[in-house]
Amino acid sequence: MRELCAAAVEAASGDEAIEAYAEESRRTEVTALRGEVEGLTFAESRGVGVRVMVGGRLGYAYVADPDLDEVRDAVAHARENATLATPDEHNVLPEASSAEPIAALFRDRQASMGADRKIALALELERAATGTDPRVRKVEQARYGDAVSRVAIASTTGIAAEYERTDCWCAVVALAERGDETQTGFSFRVGREIDELDWAGVASEAVDRGVRLLGATKPPSARIPVVLDPFAGSSFLSVLAGALSAEAVQKGRSPFANLVGERVGSDAFTLVDDGRLLAGPAAAPFDDEGVPTERTELISAGTLRGFLHNSYTAHRGGTRSTGNAHRAGYRSVPGVGASNFFVPAGTPSVHELLVRAEGGVLIQDVSGVHSGANPISGEFSVGATGLRISGGALAEPLREMTIASTLPEMLKAVEAVGSDLRFFTSVGVPTILVGEMTVAGR
Amino acid sequence: MLDRDLVLEVLRAARARGGDFAELFVEERSSVQIRLDDGKIEELTSGLDRGAGVRVARGPSFGYAFSNRLERTALLEAAAAAAASVDGVGPGAIVDLRTAEPPVVHRAESPAGALPATEKVRWLREVDDAARSFSPHVRQVVASYGDSVQRVLIATSDGRLVEEERPRVRLFVTVVAARDGVIQTGVHGPAGLAGAEFFDRHPPARTAEIAARRAVTMLDAVPAPAGETAVVLAPGMGGVLFHEACGHPLEADLVDREASVYRGRVGERVASALVNGVDDATVPNAWGSFSFDDEGTPAGRTVMLEEGILRGWLSDRIRAAKLGEPSSGNGRRQSYAHPPIPRMTNTYILNGTSSAEEVLASTERGVYVTALAGGQTNPASGDFVFGVSEGFLIEHGRVTAPVRGANLIGRAIEVMSAVDAVADDFDTWEGVCGKDGQGVPVGSGSPTLRIARITVGGTGA
Repeated sequence: MRELCAAAVEAASGDEAIEAYAEESRRTEVTALRGEVEGLTFAESRGVGVRVMVGGRLGYAYVADPDLDEVRDAVAHARENATLATPDEHNVLPEASSAEPIAALFRDRQASMGADRKIALALELERAATGTDPRVRKVEQARYGDAVSRVAIASTTGIAAEYERTDCWCAVVALAERGDETQTGFSFRVGREIDELDWAGVASEAVDRGVRLLGATKPPSARIPVVLDPFAGSSFLSVLAGALSAEAVQKGRSPFANLVGERVGSDAFTLVDDGRLLAGPAAAPFDDEGVPTERTELISAGTLRGFLHNSYTAHRGGTRSTGNAHRAGYRSVPGVGASNFFVPAGTPSVHELLVRAEGGVLIQDVSGVHSGANPISGEFSVGATGLRISGGALAEPLREMTIASTLPEMLKAVEAVGSDLRFFTSVGVPTILVGEMTVAGR
Repeated sequence: MLDRDLVLEVLRAARARGGDFAELFVEERSSVQIRLDDGKIEELTSGLDRGAGVRVARGPSFGYAFSNRLERTALLEAAAAAAASVDGVGPGAIVDLRTAEPPVVHRAESPAGALPATEKVRWLREVDDAARSFSPHVRQVVASYGDSVQRVLIATSDGRLVEEERPRVRLFVTVVAARDGVIQTGVHGPAGLAGAEFFDRHPPARTAEIAARRAVTMLDAVPAPAGETAVVLAPGMGGVLFHEACGHPLEADLVDREASVYRGRVGERVASALVNGVDDATVPNAWGSFSFDDEGTPAGRTVMLEEGILRGWLSDRIRAAKLGEPSSGNGRRQSYAHPPIPRMTNTYILNGTSSAEEVLASTERGVYVTALAGGQTNPASGDFVFGVSEGFLIEHGRVTAPVRGANLIGRAIEVMSAVDAVADDFDTWEGVCGKDGQGVPVGSGSPTLRIARITVGGTGA
């Protein structure tokens, strides 16, 4: 991969700035159904993406599994594409700076593990999910997956960085049934190696989340206290991550533009992005254009501190990159994206939060967030399932309800943040007590 | 794309340990993406992707391996890895490969790949101009143009050999309008399995105006009323609802996992008698069409609902075999990097006999939905939700104020049974549908239709 990147950089002529991003991965995925392996997938892929900047014009090209000549062809395509782009002085490549490696991202044992252990885990996962509660006899899905990946970046500004990582995950969608009714319960975990996955916990959580929704009814519409469990909270955090990117702000697409230094949430609400947090799944020594990752406090006790930046937005905003360049892979130009984006744990237990939300509802899942939430205006209206809160405990299940508000209003209404911080892919969130919200049903 | 002898060699290696069938899927995709944002041509990307996946199926299980190297050793390694997942007894036979004739061919009259990039940049400039001149309230225009050609070769151990070229074009426009601190967005994104001629029928400036009109209209929106009400869906939008509420639960993998609200109900009434729903991959040049699905099954048309009676599933080979039926030709995959799964193609509710004017005029109170932002379904419980990106109040049979922040929530069978009017003004809506981490192009379509009662989520009284 280093050679491929170097070939691209060496192809630079005149005052061109060139960056090559190469990525290689080996993935395994196993799904289990009715005690058998349903699917077993092995994947190997590799690709290179090239950015060429000349006179502020940016062109991009990518190629899957190239040889050296094809990398040079990609440079030529990117160069040609650049000629049609609008010049923009903020198109700059970051200067080289050394990123502290994060050794524990890569686990030898995981990288060299054979398929048998992975297959066994998927089968165990399904067995555990279907064997504990008489109302759960089948799963919609029981899945184990992992990836060993390597990223290399080189540029004419002197960047030559590389790292490797191992990731694994398991997920269960349990089907809870009673009479004609079916409810689903979802759970999953991510880790660096298979021993970190707590698959038994995933199975029992999926079962519990499905079973407790059996008999759910549609609640009457009302304004009541809302508690978001971490699954539900993580969906909102993903939308917030988009709204707090400097890209959205600079393009006038964020409800948080011009609010730095101002109060955007309650005292109880703090929000952090930390690419070096090993406990977070998105940890990496440097971002997708080679800038070292760091910890950025975006909202401190309700006050907006700043935004996520890559090199482009930093240059345009007259600030420095926060190490948040993000790509969807070698096929894409780096944009701005969150790394480990999380609400730090508070002190109250979940029980304490429920006591404070008497008569309200615990939202267990929200759906339609990507269509129902508008990151530009901050308005959202999403579908939800959950449970009534009564006497400090979870009572009857609810379905077919919607909750609607705006992101800024919801952040200001946060009354307390629980102690149960949990990470989902790259966002992490504890249980959150929000004040009153409109819950629509019948 | 690959030498026939090599194809046979890979299939033989894949069947080294038996199994029901082996399949090789080879793909090459070249693409161009151009993005205009903030008045600037921000990004031009050209890409070249290629790879091959080998699948070996035995009973309900399969092994899949892929590589993005197309040389012999890499293909044979993938075949061996896929074969290793089958604990079969010995080598399986390979039926002599026969080239299949396509039931329908979707040709690009003017291949987009042959046009100079300057032409595509000009379209994006037209979009920017048209959207900005539509209204002084237009603040931002983002326009993405994309074209791609996907070339596939599919060969199976039971003798299928299919080659297909799928040209696709899409223009997606997002317009942001602002006034007095209120920000709204409007989108429109027509797409086709076609060449540049697609833009003769869908001129870029018109796409821009539709997106701009949506954004500007919504500036005057009042909060949507929360609670149960009648909803009239504009042409195309009922198709989006049908896709979520019926289409997903009728995908045969969910039926097979007993995770579908429709399991065991073929022949039963599951929707209003006014609803006739089909999935049709043969519609000429439609976004969700093809000549063969990604397992080499010829494109077909499946009747899902006939006058509200459930008639059939959407299946791929493995699921069809488990259910004891032939595949309906719905085995699709995002790319060589994914095993095929049952997916929709173009999912349509067919025309009824009412006129749209009658449907609206006979609605005393409700919400008229003219654009949906997409949705999500839980196929097992049948619960679904849609975001409404453009909607209006209906008062005494007349369309009045625009509403914002609305969504529609309900259960598949109840809501489809509550359809009480279907008009005759069919239109389509194109999107990319995500499932199990795979996105594929899909079309939806419907005439104007009315749901007598459905829950609308919103913040208004």
